[in-house]
Amino acid sequence: MSDYFINEKDFGDFLKRLVRARNVLGPKAKRGHFVFGRIENPEDLRLDYDVTILPPKKAFFPTCQDLVRFDGDQVSGCIDPVDQVLFGVHFYDVKAIDMTDLLFAERGEDRNYTANRQAATIVASSIQSVSPRAFWGSVGKEVEPKGHDAFLTKVARGYVYQSRTPKGSALLELGKFRKAEATELEAARKADEAVKKKCPETLKYGAAEVAKKVRAAFPDEKLWERLSERCFSCGSCNLVCPTCYCFDVQDHWNVDQRSGARTRYWDACLTSEFSKVSLGAGNSENFRESRGERFRHRILRKASYLNEKLGGPACVGCGRCAAACTADIADPVKTIREVMEAAS
Amino acid sequence: MKRHCSCGVSSMAVHGESGGRDAGANLFLPRKAVILRVEQPTTMERHFTLRLADETPLDFEPGQILEVGLMGYGEIPLGLASSPTRRNTFDIVVRSVGRVSQAINRLQPGDSLLIRGPLGKGFDLAMFRGHSVLVVAGGIGLCPTRSLIQYILDRREEFQRFTLFYGARDPQQQLFLKDLAEWRGSKTVEYFETVDKGDPGWRGNVGVITILFPKVKIDPGTKVVVCGPPIMFKFVIRELAKLGIPHEDIFVDLERRMKCGVGKCGHCQINDKYVCTDGPVFSFAEIKTLEEAL
Repeated sequence: MSDYFINEKDFGDFLKRLVRARNVLGPKAKRGHFVFGRIENPEDLRLDYDVTILPPKKAFFPTCQDLVRFDGDQVSGCIDPVDQVLFGVHFYDVKAIDMTDLLFAERGEDRNYTANRQAATIVASSIQSVSPRAFWGSVGKEVEPKGHDAFLTKVARGYVYQSRTPKGSALLELGKFRKAEATELEAARKADEAVKKKCPETLKYGAAEVAKKVRAAFPDEKLWERLSERCFSCGSCNLVCPTCYCFDVQDHWNVDQRSGARTRYWDACLTSEFSKVSLGAGNSENFRESRGERFRHRILRKASYLNEKLGGPACVGCGRCAAACTADIADPVKTIREVMEAAS
Repeated sequence: MKRHCSCGVSSMAVHGESGGRDAGANLFLPRKAVILRVEQPTTMERHFTLRLADETPLDFEPGQILEVGLMGYGEIPLGLASSPTRRNTFDIVVRSVGRVSQAINRLQPGDSLLIRGPLGKGFDLAMFRGHSVLVVAGGIGLCPTRSLIQYILDRREEFQRFTLFYGARDPQQQLFLKDLAEWRGSKTVEYFETVDKGDPGWRGNVGVITILFPKVKIDPGTKVVVCGPPIMFKFVIRELAKLGIPHEDIFVDLERRMKCGVGKCGHCQINDKYVCTDGPVFSFAEIKTLEEAL
């Protein structure tokens, strides 16, 4: 695929045509924050966003999604993907999407996710503003962002559009793109390099070292209890995480009391009921009963358990968990620093 | 405006009509099974004998699991409680604990329910063939192990000594009463049983399951299967250590909250393993370094 340039003025026209031609989801402002939402008016698209409240995974793995529907005795699947263009995804979220792509496809492909994913076009974009809790400049450097169809970088007087796939190139006909010049590509490369140094937070340690030490710290119950002392078990850190993909499944009936659906909902391993099993006669067994156990599970899942599979940590440094945590204890940079210091 | 679900919460705005692209199997689509027989061994448990509605045999290994459910209620993970050697039917035992299990336990012969599976990894029979086998089952741990017990009894010549320990809370909690009667007098299985608490009619052993170990000699090289309530594993494994059974020869059949059964939803995770796909049967050697396993 090839590299293109579009100037500022033509970019506006391109967006106008794009939102008319396709379903576009992109960052827009909402009550002082940013969210990924349907873009019907190009003026709503805020490529200068820092981070969105929820990650864009919701486009493929919605907060609630019917898996199976029923009507009387009839049971049917309801995989029904729609074309959508995710426009303006930052590289850390691209990395996270690539991880959930792998996790939903391995060991039995979950078409309820992969069908949505395959129907989507992802246009990544350069980071123009940095969120206060971001640490994407230092975490998981060994994991390359991939799986996106094009990458858009703001440079002087316009945008460089690097198409990576036929889906990425298919959007070119909607705008006055021309082949990018070497100087423009160099400017794009420099802009992307430069922004990575602007993160307010830095993880000082390498992924392999972290994975090993955090795993080894498992038996240090006191450490995990201390780190999670103020945890409300609310699961906010899970819900805003772009690489969390746990879910609960619940059935419900429609008002006709004849039809209904089996639906999955985002779930959170920090909540107290997550690993609880009923044994009957009012007895139950909770396999992660304490806050410390649950907090530890999340950190190990991000920093160790999945590393081999993903080629690096299951954390992309978006900082959403740090910002969402009421008690402000979820920040992986702070937590990992404490674990590493306790281990040394 | 299209919604991904009908729960009323507006999800990501996705628009337009599509369809016809439901390619590939949906992991969550269940199959119908018809109830042939129902027995109620205890006040809490019902034992169902089922057949797939399309009358094809269910192809599974002993130790594998099913997600069993009813639309509008939900699904629960259950170990298959019969052996694949009994090809035309399969058994499950359901304990009434919540909404789904209570709804299933109201069903009668002729009714049907929905299953997904077989799921997960069962017993690696190649490891057991040609060896002596000891099964240690506590409480409803007898249900999933019955798939292996029946298998061994049906192909008895493929195995050496076969010993079975069964512990129940009290005589009223014993399951598979017909099987127990058969095993008590059987020469093909050395069967030992105990109850935690006896009653006036009980003449057998009283005490936790580990009291059965001194009653029989376990040969070195015996393959051991352990399944029961979480508390039981530690004590049984301690006894096995005394006998010098290597960790590779001990197999545990674990229970967790397996919501999806296909290694995605995260509920059944022990450290980095998913019980529903990496298990539910694990060798002790495989999980002894996993702090969350036992």
